[in-house]
Amino acid sequence: MDADRPHFMSSPAAIIPPDEEKNAVDAQILQRVAAGDHSALGELYDRFSRPLFSAALRILNNAAEAEDVLHDVFVTLWDKASDFESSKGHAFSWALTLTRNRAIDRLRSRKRRSEILTQALPADLGYDEAADAKLDSAGNLWLKEKAAAVRTAVATLPADQREALELAYFGGLTQQQIAEKLSEPLGTIKARIRRALFKLRDVLTPQL
Amino acid sequence: MIDERHQEAAALYALDLLEGAERTAFETALTSDRALRRLVAQLRETSADVALLASPAEPSAFLRERILADIADRSPTSADHTIPFRLPFWAGWAVASCFIVATGYFVGVNFNTRSQFNALRENERLARIEAKAFSNQLEAERLISRRQIDSLRLAQADIAELKNQNALADLKIDSLASLVANTPDARAIAVWNPHTQEGVLTVAKLPALADGKDYQLWVVDPQYPIPVDGGVFQVDPVTGEARVTFKPNKPVATVAKFAVSLERKGGVPKAEGTMMLLSY
Repeated sequence: MDADRPHFMSSPAAIIPPDEEKNAVDAQILQRVAAGDHSALGELYDRFSRPLFSAALRILNNAAEAEDVLHDVFVTLWDKASDFESSKGHAFSWALTLTRNRAIDRLRSRKRRSEILTQALPADLGYDEAADAKLDSAGNLWLKEKAAAVRTAVATLPADQREALELAYFGGLTQQQIAEKLSEPLGTIKARIRRALFKLRDVLTPQL
Repeated sequence: MIDERHQEAAALYALDLLEGAERTAFETALTSDRALRRLVAQLRETSADVALLASPAEPSAFLRERILADIADRSPTSADHTIPFRLPFWAGWAVASCFIVATGYFVGVNFNTRSQFNALRENERLARIEAKAFSNQLEAERLISRRQIDSLRLAQADIAELKNQNALADLKIDSLASLVANTPDARAIAVWNPHTQEGVLTVAKLPALADGKDYQLWVVDPQYPIPVDGGVFQVDPVTGEARVTFKPNKPVATVAKFAVSLERKGGVPKAEGTMMLLSY
């Protein structure tokens, strides 16, 4: 365990696993899923469902559709668990990427995309502190701490970079569409996204 | 050190924003750049974290049961259920050997094909030359044939001319004189063409014919016991002239004499009446 890293002890009563330990546990559960352990998928659901659903809901702005996406993602995890290679990434990131891709595919298939985007992109990050307060288990506390770290890191970004990054991640838009939406040259948008993502990496990697 | 252009592409790629040729070019670069692959992995992890910006939300309580129910009868595509395929250590050498053999084979095929192609081209060139020569020969023969045909025509014309001259040479021309005392001035000329078995008789100063009478021409041929009938004719009652074309009723080989007799109307098979004219 890395002594330089904070352990995200936000509550004295809860033991919050550090990233590496949490990722290792995720990988083990995924291995059990690959072996056909149905209960393992239930465990994975308990660990991943909230952030995945939150991301899908943020992208789709529709709970029923977000649940459909979540359903598809977990069925895919069940089917493709054996494809996962822990050396190439973390199970949680893999699940998030699956969720985002499915949600964006669904979003792009909708004709009312622009309407959804307008609704889904408030001036601030749209974060619901009240919902956050409901998280209480150890895994969820880890998630809460991590989400807080991400929010803090994103908050340090210049507004234009943050906006470009959020549109890129949640909006399901192409580079060109982002440039048009923000009325900026394409090169400027590319540079903003690059700077934002690199800064987040630099901030989050040593912390998480 | 990864340059800024690749850093930018890596960031966009991590967010799945690269498309088309840009994406293809970047993925090509990824295959040969380990540091770039590591950067993309980091940025993918970072971009996944962006999902945590979404407000926490909880799916309905039924979703968990629904998912678990759906997968209850399904088996995951487990790595344990698949037979891993590992290439033997010599596979690379085998592939290389096959490649060399295949390369040699295709070089040989290529060489043979080129040789055959060149041979075919040479054959085609020779065939063209031969065709050209044949064409020239045909043209020459055509000209020769034309000349020969022209010569033949000329020869035919010459032959016809000669034949005509020969025919003229064979014509028999006889003068006939009167055998009757009261018409001493009566005369006739007979021209006989033995090739056509025809002749022309011109008479003058024969007495006018009485009713029921005709003059009849006779051709004397030694092969026949009696003269051959040459046909009947009338004369102008005033001048006693006539010009008739005659054709004997039997083939005539040699004309010894011509004779004209006065016969009853329509002629007779054998001369009966007065002999008026005779070749002399």
